[in-house]
Amino acid sequence: MSLPETMPYTGWRWDDLVFLALAGVMLGSALLVVLSRNIIRSGLFMVLSFLGLAGIYALAGSPIVAAAQVLVYIGAISVLILFAVMLTQSKAGPAALVFQRQAWIAAIASVVLLGLIGASILLTDFPAAEALPTVHETREVAFLIFDANVFAFEVVSLLLLAAVVGGIFIARRDESADEEGA
Amino acid sequence: MSFFAEAGGHAGHGPELADPTAQLLITLLMAIPLAGFALSVILGRRLGSRPWVIAVPAIIATWLIAMFLVWQTLFVGAYGEYGITFTLYEWIPAGQFRVDANFLMDNLTAVMLIVVTTIGMLVHVYSIGYMSHDPSKWRFFAYLNLFMFSMLLLVLAGNYLLVFAAWELVGLSSYLLIGFWYHKRSAALANKKAFITNRVGDVGFALGIMALWTTVGTLNFTEVFTLIPEKVAGGELGPVLMAGICLLLFMGAMGKSAQFPLHVWLPDAMEGPTPVSALIHAATMVNAGVYLVARSSPVFAQSAGALLLIACLGAFTAILAASIALTQKDIKRVLAYSTLSQLGYMFLALGVGAWIPAIFHLVTHGFFKGLLFLGSGSVIHAVHEEQDMDRMGGLAGKIRITHLTMLIGTIAIAGIPPLAGFFSKDEILGETFKFGVYEQAFYVLFVVGMIVAGMTAFYMWRLMGKTFYGKSRVDPHVEPKIHESPWTMTLPLILLAIPSIGIGLALGWPLGDSTIKHWLEPVFHEAEVTLGRELPKVQLFGIDGILIVIAVSVATLGIVIAAALFGIGRKDGRSETVRSLTQRIPFGPALYRASFNRWYFDDLNHLLFVRFGGVVAESAAIFDRAVIDGIVNGTAKVTQGAGDRIRRIQTGKVQNYALGIAIGLIVISIVLLFVVTR
Amino acid sequence: MSQSLDAYLLLAAGLFAIGTFGFLAKRNAIAMLMSIELMLNAVNLAIVAFALFTPSLGAQGSVIALFVMAVAAAEATVGLAIVIAIYRNRRTPLVDEYASMRE
Repeated sequence: MSLPETMPYTGWRWDDLVFLALAGVMLGSALLVVLSRNIIRSGLFMVLSFLGLAGIYALAGSPIVAAAQVLVYIGAISVLILFAVMLTQSKAGPAALVFQRQAWIAAIASVVLLGLIGASILLTDFPAAEALPTVHETREVAFLIFDANVFAFEVVSLLLLAAVVGGIFIARRDESADEEGA
Repeated sequence: MSFFAEAGGHAGHGPELADPTAQLLITLLMAIPLAGFALSVILGRRLGSRPWVIAVPAIIATWLIAMFLVWQTLFVGAYGEYGITFTLYEWIPAGQFRVDANFLMDNLTAVMLIVVTTIGMLVHVYSIGYMSHDPSKWRFFAYLNLFMFSMLLLVLAGNYLLVFAAWELVGLSSYLLIGFWYHKRSAALANKKAFITNRVGDVGFALGIMALWTTVGTLNFTEVFTLIPEKVAGGELGPVLMAGICLLLFMGAMGKSAQFPLHVWLPDAMEGPTPVSALIHAATMVNAGVYLVARSSPVFAQSAGALLLIACLGAFTAILAASIALTQKDIKRVLAYSTLSQLGYMFLALGVGAWIPAIFHLVTHGFFKGLLFLGSGSVIHAVHEEQDMDRMGGLAGKIRITHLTMLIGTIAIAGIPPLAGFFSKDEILGETFKFGVYEQAFYVLFVVGMIVAGMTAFYMWRLMGKTFYGKSRVDPHVEPKIHESPWTMTLPLILLAIPSIGIGLALGWPLGDSTIKHWLEPVFHEAEVTLGRELPKVQLFGIDGILIVIAVSVATLGIVIAAALFGIGRKDGRSETVRSLTQRIPFGPALYRASFNRWYFDDLNHLLFVRFGGVVAESAAIFDRAVIDGIVNGTAKVTQGAGDRIRRIQTGKVQNYALGIAIGLIVISIVLLFVVTR
Repeated sequence: MSQSLDAYLLLAAGLFAIGTFGFLAKRNAIAMLMSIELMLNAVNLAIVAFALFTPSLGAQGSVIALFVMAVAAAEATVGLAIVIAIYRNRRTPLVDEYASMRE
């Protein structure tokens, strides 16, 4: 049995529904990331938010980006963050003091910023906005990365290497300064 | 093949472009001492007791290269009549103002190279022995190499700005060397004095260079020397302006070559170690001024007035310094004033248009004065750092080599044939006399020169007599320890004695058609043509013969009088004789005191610049404290007060700042969205 | 709706605003880093969206997004290392106690 082209009663397309659902998950869990009082929970909601975003990428016709999103953000960065949490949260701060005193101003500023960005999006007449979304084949992306942009690719790999070395160097326990007992 | 091809083609004659080998050699000539300096500075402390292992071989290598280049230039003639030139790189590319690091190697440079590198090399060798007891001798050798580099750059430079840079480097290295024993207050004061006095001259030199730039728009020697005569011929450059340029350039020469009234620094510079005195004050640095004027001969030749002034100042310096040298007690000071006096001769020669004799005298003087200075160093070394001639005497038998070589130097400087000084001094005096046809004043200058010649012979023999002959007045504790210096010190003396004897004859014979004349004729040809002063043919049994006889008799007379007063025969009581003699002359004692006190020039300077200048400076300081500091401090107070209040914003919390960024972003977006685009 | 650029961009804007809020309001350094990640993802989403609606760009948009991810990973590594280093010195992950910039 096949589904109808559009949803009954509303006339929405099915992928619109998927888009809305994913967007909801993503935004909702993102909100929970910043509002949650527990840092571990924040981290887990971040994973959920990234998952939603990966779905949106897939929907937007960039399966390779979606895959990379899952691998990099969910697989690597989130784990990294959770590790950092474990390393630094031995004695969690008082739960009531999760936010700064400037939280209300920050909230207003964020909302205003959202409004401004939204306004500028809506006020701008993007020339290609009516074009049909296209799907990028992974093969095409691979050629672009390893052929046309191979130099940039190598530079990025170098950057990552530098970041790893630098990260180790910064976070390494300083033997001499640590003698007073860490 | 840059502008030189154009300039050369334009002038019809000029230096050729150097071939790669010559370019390399000339570059190496400067690079080796510079590298020696750098290495000595970096490694100096680690070299321990033998810090000369870098510096001395470096200079010997430099000397070898220089000798090869001299051979090629003067004897083989491989580089043509007008020498070679090349551009190492573009030094200052600033819009219209473009200066290259270019070099010129012609016959004049070659002659200078002989003096600079030979004496420099011997001084380096001599220093090994002389400085052997000094704990920081690595510094000394490093400075010596820097000095050599500066001096080589100076004589090889192909434009005025590069010469100026080298000029300042020479000033710097002489400052470092004179003040080498900086813990000695007198040395620290002397090097400041030298530096500041030189700076006065340098201001003139710098202004002269700027004037050249604004008038001809280039600083390259070859171009300046063709453009300046053109401008003068075309009437664009008036005689007053021309004389102004010449005198400004001469001011620089006056400072470096210690001509009156900027002569005060040189005698004080004797505070440096003796090799430095020999190197700076005999052989190289003081010659820089002479070289500059000689190098710029086509420019100076355009202004006969400026040249006359130079001649007069030279003669005046010569007689002034000679009169001071008559009475000094310090052996090195006598030599220092003697140097001043001889430099006066050179400027006298330049001023009358006797360019070649001036350079000739520079060469011979370089050798015998280097010899005398190094010899005096050996004497000082022998009597344990005693410089007062009243506490020497009777040393002739104890330090034989030093005595013999100094005797040669003395006879050479006194002008007794056939030693070196005779030929060059005779040429200067002879040309001065013969050019009297064109300028009456030269006869007066000739007479002054003759008197100075006699005085020179007198004070030099006085030095010999007081130091080497008669009864010993040496400190009895030191007396038994007097010894000849090590071979590193005596060898340079012997090596310098040889040219002191022979170089005059080698370069100055036959009279009127000498080797040095052939060498330098192309360089000074243009200046000679411009001045239009012609020398009559040499008549050995005519006027020239008479002049030679006069000069030699005057010199002999000076020696005989000095020998009578201080010389070999007398055993003691000489100072009494001198005193009674001076008392018999009218104003004798007063003149003696004045001469001994250097005609009170230092006191005059002290009164003029230290006392009076001090008052001016003091009032300026009061103004500075009250008004200038008031404004500055007031501004600071206002700023501080405002800052104290504003700093409360700075919470030190990152997120406060980030919020600031966010709010700023919002404001900018609002302005862009709703104000600018509407 | 999934065929309109505005929808994607508005979604990115929302994510960005949430990230901004988190960055400005959270006291915990790691939470701030998470917020930065959210903001970076918002930007990435905008890039992908633009690429999607600009046919001439082809697959370039995806490539840019991938590069941004790599840089973000590097940034996270170093950022977390710094947080750990500061934590070791100050014994607290709370940013408002790092006020030595004040003096």
